[in-house]
Amino acid sequence: MLMPRIEQPATGEASADPLLRLAEMLRLDLTEEDLTALADQLRTIDALEKEELGDFSPILRMDADWHE
Amino acid sequence: MSDSRALTNLSISEAAAALRRRETTAVALTQATLARIKETEPTVQAYATVTVERALESAERADRELAAGRDRGLLQGIPIGVKDNCYTKGILTEVGSKAMEGFVPDYDSTVVSKLYAAGAVLIGKTRCHEWSCGGSEPPTRSAWDRDRFPGGSSIGSGVAVSARSAFGAIGTDTGGSIRIPATLNNLVGMKATYGRVSAYGVAPLAWSLDHVGPLTRTARDNAIMLGAMAGHDPNDANSARVDVPDFLTDIDGGLQGMRIGIDRDYFLYPGVVDSVRAVTEAVIDQLAAMGAKIVEVNLPELEMTRETLMTIRMVESASYHRHRIREQGHLYSPGTRATLQMGEVILATQYVAALRARERFRRAMKNLFRRESLHAQISPTIPVSAPLLEDVWKPRADMENGETPTDGFVHHVYPANLSGQPAISAPGGFTPEGLPVGYQLMGRPFDEATLYRIAYAYERTQNWHERQPPQVYD
Repeated sequence: MLMPRIEQPATGEASADPLLRLAEMLRLDLTEEDLTALADQLRTIDALEKEELGDFSPILRMDADWHE
Repeated sequence: MSDSRALTNLSISEAAAALRRRETTAVALTQATLARIKETEPTVQAYATVTVERALESAERADRELAAGRDRGLLQGIPIGVKDNCYTKGILTEVGSKAMEGFVPDYDSTVVSKLYAAGAVLIGKTRCHEWSCGGSEPPTRSAWDRDRFPGGSSIGSGVAVSARSAFGAIGTDTGGSIRIPATLNNLVGMKATYGRVSAYGVAPLAWSLDHVGPLTRTARDNAIMLGAMAGHDPNDANSARVDVPDFLTDIDGGLQGMRIGIDRDYFLYPGVVDSVRAVTEAVIDQLAAMGAKIVEVNLPELEMTRETLMTIRMVESASYHRHRIREQGHLYSPGTRATLQMGEVILATQYVAALRARERFRRAMKNLFRRESLHAQISPTIPVSAPLLEDVWKPRADMENGETPTDGFVHHVYPANLSGQPAISAPGGFTPEGLPVGYQLMGRPFDEATLYRIAYAYERTQNWHERQPPQVYD
């Protein structure tokens, strides 16, 4: 699997400071550059959380009835 | 039929027929493949481990059984490669990771057990990216152009089949890792429906996105392999209780009455380069000429697939690697370690939001298929042909938004991992520079047979799949 966004150089648009403290607390071995990239990634998740998902339960159930 | 190169150029179907006509033997096929491995490995480095003695023993057994009238099916006696993230009892399984160096499983993954049961000859373990993600690059090189990217993470599987050092290979696909090597190596790669093929005994990247599937040179071969690999497995909680059809039964049924969707806004966006666009349009025209109805569709929900999939992938990967990284973090390359740890800081509520967004996307895709009575949706497999190795992660010179080739890959392949629907990549043509270009068909859950039918119909009108890579034939 190829995962581009967090492999790219960070844009520096988001602060990594809170993540640095969190990473230390969780004993994560992440560099400041990693954390800045991660902050960018988390901003994309913010966009996801703003979506209207009220009718959708978190279930993955593949069914075979697309034919109908 | 004794010429070694002639043997390794056979498709699985052709080799199986030759075995049954007694024109060759499984031992001869295996010896030819081993010779081919010896010839090509210095150039392409597709294999992590080659299982010479085991392969020859399996081949001898296949010959004995066929001579005695015990026919296990069309994979019997056929040399197959297996991605090195699939557990193989008694055989090194290192998942491209220093943390797994020297690891020899004491059981087989279900998919490998099924290949053995079908009489296939396991010829070796094919290289993959570290833990099946892209943090470091294996030494594997493309047989089409060694300076260009051969795909990932099933990199060795793609290159081995292309280089004729395996008749087919197993890959895994969490975010395109079967289909990307397929398109870049002029192969057919099937990511079957989620749950169709057991993932038991396969080192996970993200449980709810991981798929196991075959890479082959023809659609028919792919259908043969999937038929042997698929089926319910009580050892895999996500394995589907759905019957496995004979995928060959209707493969030559043609395209009359087929409805194939194309979302041009999303899949032919400006990031698709001209050569890939031209191949895709030619494939679409050919399918229409053969009787398929091409339906213009639009699915806005595609736009959030990347954020959704990445959130799920990061959290599930972090969960799997959490303890190992703390104990053996120095045995991960820095890029891989970072990408596998980052999910620990994603909130549980954000993970659930992604699961809900996945359900919304899946439902939207399902409704689209039902509303338009689609049999499949077509696109380029990826928007570009094989980039130079040094350009894979760099912004493209022809794109003003900083998009990298990899950004384009995920744009096209992530949706089917997220929905869980089957998706196949098949050879569609070549660029003027001679690089392979594939097209992708996404289908209805558990209806891989229709995707094979379409791919086979197109394949019969062209000879793209017969082209051989130049780097290992010079």
